[in-house]
Formats: sequence, C-alpha cells, structure tokens
Amino acid sequence: MADQIQGPAIVTGSRCRSCSTVSYPQHALCPVCGHDGFDPVPIAGAGNVLTYTDLYALSLAYAQRYLRLAIVQLDGGLRVTGQLLDPDPQMGKRVKTKIGVIRESEGGKVYGLQFVPVQTSVSDVDPG
Amino acid sequence: MRPVAILGAGMTKFGRSDSTLADLMSEASVAALRDATMGNRSVDAVVVANMGAARINRQTAIASALVDRLNLFPAAAETVENGPASGASAVKVGVQAIAAGMADIVLVTGVEKMRAVNNLEATDFVASLSHPEAEYVYGVTLPSLAGMFARLYMSRYGLTRRHLAMVSIKNHANAMRNPYAHIHQEITMEGILDAPEARVNNPPIAEPLHLYDCCPVSDGAASLVLASLDVVQHLDRPDSVVMIAGIGQATDTHAVHERSEPTELSAVRLAADQAFDRAGVGPGEIDVAELHDAFTVLEIAESEAAGFFPRGEGHVALEQGVTSLGGALPINPSGGLKGRGHPVGATGVAQLVELTWQLRGDAGARQVAGAGNGFACNFGGFGNNVVATVLRSERRDHG
Repeated sequence: MADQIQGPAIVTGSRCRSCSTVSYPQHALCPVCGHDGFDPVPIAGAGNVLTYTDLYALSLAYAQRYLRLAIVQLDGGLRVTGQLLDPDPQMGKRVKTKIGVIRESEGGKVYGLQFVPVQTSVSDVDPG
Repeated sequence: MRPVAILGAGMTKFGRSDSTLADLMSEASVAALRDATMGNRSVDAVVVANMGAARINRQTAIASALVDRLNLFPAAAETVENGPASGASAVKVGVQAIAAGMADIVLVTGVEKMRAVNNLEATDFVASLSHPEAEYVYGVTLPSLAGMFARLYMSRYGLTRRHLAMVSIKNHANAMRNPYAHIHQEITMEGILDAPEARVNNPPIAEPLHLYDCCPVSDGAASLVLASLDVVQHLDRPDSVVMIAGIGQATDTHAVHERSEPTELSAVRLAADQAFDRAGVGPGEIDVAELHDAFTVLEIAESEAAGFFPRGEGHVALEQGVTSLGGALPINPSGGLKGRGHPVGATGVAQLVELTWQLRGDAGARQVAGAGNGFACNFGGFGNNVVATVLRSERRDHG
C-alpha cells in the first residue's frame, strides 16, 4: 500500500516479458497480449501535459486550498496521472517527472509522481 | 428470455433528509408497491442498490433490512454495489432474475444517505472508486477527473464555459418542475457566469468546472416494481404498460489516463449500442433521455457517445434547444443529477422512475408530450462502468 511508504521511492510501470509493452498502473495480465510476466521499469522522463485541473474539492488528506493535478503523456507514449508543480500550466507544455511528497498521512509522507516544467523557450512549447 | 414490465415506480424527495437509511428505502419502496397493482401476488425478490452504507452509515446487508421493514418474508434479497452505476445495475439484476424465470415480481430500490457525513468525507468516499495507486493517492477526486476531462473535451470541440452553464441552467429550470428534486433554484447566465458576483456565487471546484457544473450531495431513494409480462397480463392495469426494452453494459479502464482517447466515453457508446440493439430501436427513435450529468460536461459528451448527436456536436444541439423541454429530444426533464440531486446508489433507479412517469404521461409540469421510448445512461466510476437502459411504452391487448 502506498500509504505505508515511509521514504523516497520510485514509481514503476510494468514491462511485459512477452510483448515489451509498458503499462501503468499494474495489471495482472498484459493489456496488449495477455501475458502474465512483467519486469518493473521506473517511470521517469519528460513529456507533455495532456490536461490538468486546479482541484478545490479535495479529499480528506489535504489542508491546502487547491491541488494542481495533470495527466502527462511521456515521451514514448505512456500516460501518467500526478501532481503538477507549475505556476503557469498549459496544455501541451513540456514537463519532466520528479518524485516528491504527494500526501502526508498519519503513517507518514507518501511519495509519488510530480511534474515540473522543462526549461524551454516559448517557441519550443507545443500548444496542443 | 421473458419480457419484463415496470409495474410500479416511486421515490422520496431528494435532498438533505432527517430520515434514516432504512426510512428512505422504505418510503420509496412503499410508494412503488402502492403504485403497482399486484392483486394478491407477492414480491419474490428484493434488490437494493447502494454504494456507501458500509462506510458512511455503518450499516451492511441493507437489502435484508428492507425485507424486514416491509414484511416481505421470505423474499430473496441482495444488495448491489457498483459505484454510481449501482442503481441501473440493480435493475439489471432484477430483470435477469425475471427473464431467467427465477422470480415473477422483483422490488428494486436504490438508496444513499450521503449527508450523514460532511462534504469532505462524502467527496472522499466517492473518490475511493478511483484507482488507489495511480489516481486516489495523488489527491484525485471525481471533480478532478471531470475537470481534466472537461479541459481536454472543450479544447477538442471548441466549447466554452457558457455551454456548460447552459446545461446547468436548463437542468435547474427542469428541476423547478419536479417536486422530487433536491435543488429548487432558478439560475441565470448573468448570475453564474456574466455578473461580477458570479466569481463569488459560482466558485471553481475543478477548473474549468465551477460549483454550478457539479451535482449536489444528496440523500434519497427510488424504487421500481418489476414483473414478468405474464403476471402483468393477469392484473388489472391500464391500456399500456412500460417495458424494459433493452439493457446494455460496458466497462473501461480503471485509470482514466490509460484510455487511448480520454475524451471518448467508449463504455457509454458500447452500453448504449447494446441497449438499442436489444430493444430493437435506434437513438433516433428515443423521445426522452435521462443522462448522468454528475458534471455538466458529461451530459453533452454522453449525448454524443450514446448516438443522439455526432461527436463534437452535442453542444450545438444544446444551443439550439433540441435538448430542452419542448425540444426534439428533451434531456434530463427531471432536472438530472444537477437538479434532482445525486444520492449515488439511488440515481440509476431514479432515472428509470422518471422515464416510467414520462412514458405513462404522469410527469406533470415536465411531461414530454407523447413520449413512447425513453433512454437512460447510468455512468459509474469515471466512465469505467456504464449501464444503459431503453424503456418502451407498449399497448396491451385485452384479448
């Protein structure tokens, strides 16, 4: 359970041993070929913001006013959901993953995926 | 398969209620049983739809509790939990029991008492349907999934917040005509979007969605009495009967980000196609629809995925008044989830209660004239489990 994680961790996807497709989150059977053997692969790297929201209807664990969440399409095609740490969010904007504290529960800090802007000039940003 | 008719329908007023969970279930059930003309026939089975009683009301096995309340011994009883699609799922279970010959008369009651906890707890409870490791742990709640969906959908199809507000205004206006609705408040574009005070009156919930894009948190129950057509034919009923013409159901990925096109509600499309196919009608033959507008954008997106309008053109139909009361295809004459309210386990049953009233001509000030075929979309998860139902009014032979 993620709630029990006490220190920094990596978020992993599953690479199918038969067809090499990487899926996230974990499935018991590969979504593409149905095989049941996987190797863990770290989820990290750069990608583009597919969509995002500023969420004010928060669940119980959060004391702040709002939380900025995003779905990011990583280079290579895998998509992930996480927290967007960007004061100027835009769809299509280049971001990269980092591991940070995504919630604090009574059991301690929980670590997971966060997205931060990749330093680029404005002309490099794909608007959409 | 034996054809299944709706013999009776009833519901409580939705809203904030002082009644207990058992009181809510009983009130709706008694209304439906009184509405059904059953002669000396008894209920063979009870199916209760509910999502959260174990967590928010500290009560389990509530179908057995309902049998006890109503003295329906020794009827079979079970509770169906299928997230926000529990209601239509429970109806499906009842229909299957009758179609398979395991029961002749089934009482289906959906219930939720959400105001027993505060809004934070209620939001957190519903969020527990999201993916625990890939979504929920990040702080994802249903409004955030809807907000991310809305931003992508609006950018793909050129919608503005004005279109979303039009859904809300329409459904609030319809709810004004529905005495069972949670929200009785007329709203205007001025009040929720254009006036300076709109920033205060209509604060952001999950950008680009604001308060008036989101359904309220409600208590309530709704109930149907289902029967085999052979039973109906031996009972004294009026000249027409409402039939369950077709049910479809489909699932999709748990984590929304795993869908190849996250704005495509493929489970809605597949469930609707299956329901239409089984009913032998097409979307063009539907006279009235109840869609799952937990968030305004979903009414528009579902109206396309179900096949009523081409993809990306649902908002055009909305602008033209097609989906208003008096339009060619009124959507959510009840007020929908936005106006009638959304006690999650009760919603799917309440949609079918509304359609039953519409097809019988019993919908009062919100009656859709001459409605013969009705369609409902009960949207569970964030589109990962959808039940679609087609109802049809059929004339009865008195041969």
